[in-house]
Amino acid sequence: MEFLGYKREGGKFGVRNHVLVLSSVSCANGVVDAIGRALPEVVAVTHGYGCGYGPEDLGVSLRTLSGLIDNPNVGAVLVIGLGCETLKADFLTQVVEGKPAESLVIQESGGSAATTAKGIDIASRFQKELAKQNRVLAPVSELTVGLECGGSDAFSGITANPAVGAAADRIVREGGTVILSETTEMIGTAHILKRRCATPEVGEQIERLVNNHERHVRASLGDLAGMVIAPGNIDGGLSSITEKSLGCIMKGGTTPINEMLEYAGRPSKRGLVIMDTPGYDIDSMAGMAAAGAQLILFTTGRGSTAGFPAIPVIKVASNSRTYKNMPGDMDVNAGAILDEGKTLDEVGREIFELSLAVANGARTCAELNRSVPFNYLKQGPTF
Amino acid sequence: MESNALRIHVNDNVVIATRSITKGEPVLVKGGLEQPLPAAEDIEAGHKIAIIPIPSGGVVFRYGEPIVQATRAISRGEWVHVHNTQPIPGDLKE
Repeated sequence: MEFLGYKREGGKFGVRNHVLVLSSVSCANGVVDAIGRALPEVVAVTHGYGCGYGPEDLGVSLRTLSGLIDNPNVGAVLVIGLGCETLKADFLTQVVEGKPAESLVIQESGGSAATTAKGIDIASRFQKELAKQNRVLAPVSELTVGLECGGSDAFSGITANPAVGAAADRIVREGGTVILSETTEMIGTAHILKRRCATPEVGEQIERLVNNHERHVRASLGDLAGMVIAPGNIDGGLSSITEKSLGCIMKGGTTPINEMLEYAGRPSKRGLVIMDTPGYDIDSMAGMAAAGAQLILFTTGRGSTAGFPAIPVIKVASNSRTYKNMPGDMDVNAGAILDEGKTLDEVGREIFELSLAVANGARTCAELNRSVPFNYLKQGPTF
Repeated sequence: MESNALRIHVNDNVVIATRSITKGEPVLVKGGLEQPLPAAEDIEAGHKIAIIPIPSGGVVFRYGEPIVQATRAISRGEWVHVHNTQPIPGDLKE
């Protein structure tokens, strides 16, 4: 099967052709926002980090920001820096190959207003260049799809997540790649995941990852560790993290787990892979976007509105009430399994077909709403 | 017969309400339960109902896997949630 994508140098295919304007440090956010106001079609991405990092956070920042720039949905990039930050704007553009990339440094460009004016010129030139590119046929095996859940309820684990799992199985059968994320939500399921790994080595890596994470959560929270679930989930009927986790890992479908990735790491294998990400949706999606996911399938019970910059996010509601209460935020109603007699496989096919339509250019609710928050993992202190 | 609850796995001792069920209303599951089961209390959609008695300390199974442990005896038809269960204590495997 095929979709229509934008071919990049190096053989990847984007499902969007965005101009990305990115801050290298939060001090550049004002300029990035101003360029975004002047050119509403660019994807303007700001964040709260960048001044001084410890070594581990520096690595995560480099992988995340350069990975986002490298994502096939980004056709061209302009990075705005201040000048005295650790991770410099020109360094971020230099590590990326095969697409137009420029940087501006506010301290060397005459300050905020002058940098904004220069940035608008560069970004509009990029827009004109990208407008000349056309979509071409690409095999579904070139799709990398991230899996996410947020604001889960007791239906997530019986409707939306297994339906996304059925869609994930279809993508893998076509030779594509799916990324199962959110280590926190795997706690209590290490033994099940280990059983499903393609090799004993990957099984041991995943068991170690989940158990270490559980130990970390226990050390931080003591007896409350089992209750590391948001109050919304408890209201929805979930009684423990193990109950939620079992429902969560159903998104990955039933195929073997081929690889374990560090946060914002790039997959070297196709099929189902697991990425070590936090349970916080936005941080988790940033890791998968940096890994090259062109599309994200996001299940929600209570009704999450979050999309992600440059990456179409398909919202799958676990119940019809949320689907009807938030009609402009939900793309698929997996609640139809409960009240319209649809099967998991039927909804799985619906999600798969919508994924291809979105890959071909159809807009998701989050894209139409421009609900595209950005944040990424940071662990240590800032300097 | 329209069902109002889902049994996810054959080994489960709870079912999930697919809509709000009021006290005394029969809990109806596709494929049927062994014996009629009236809800012992009002149960919200998405919440768990015991389909067999669970003793204090007994394990609650969903997806065929242990999810929580009862902190007191739970009767058939009762709501199963954080007020009568706790996470399963246990040391890490390794």
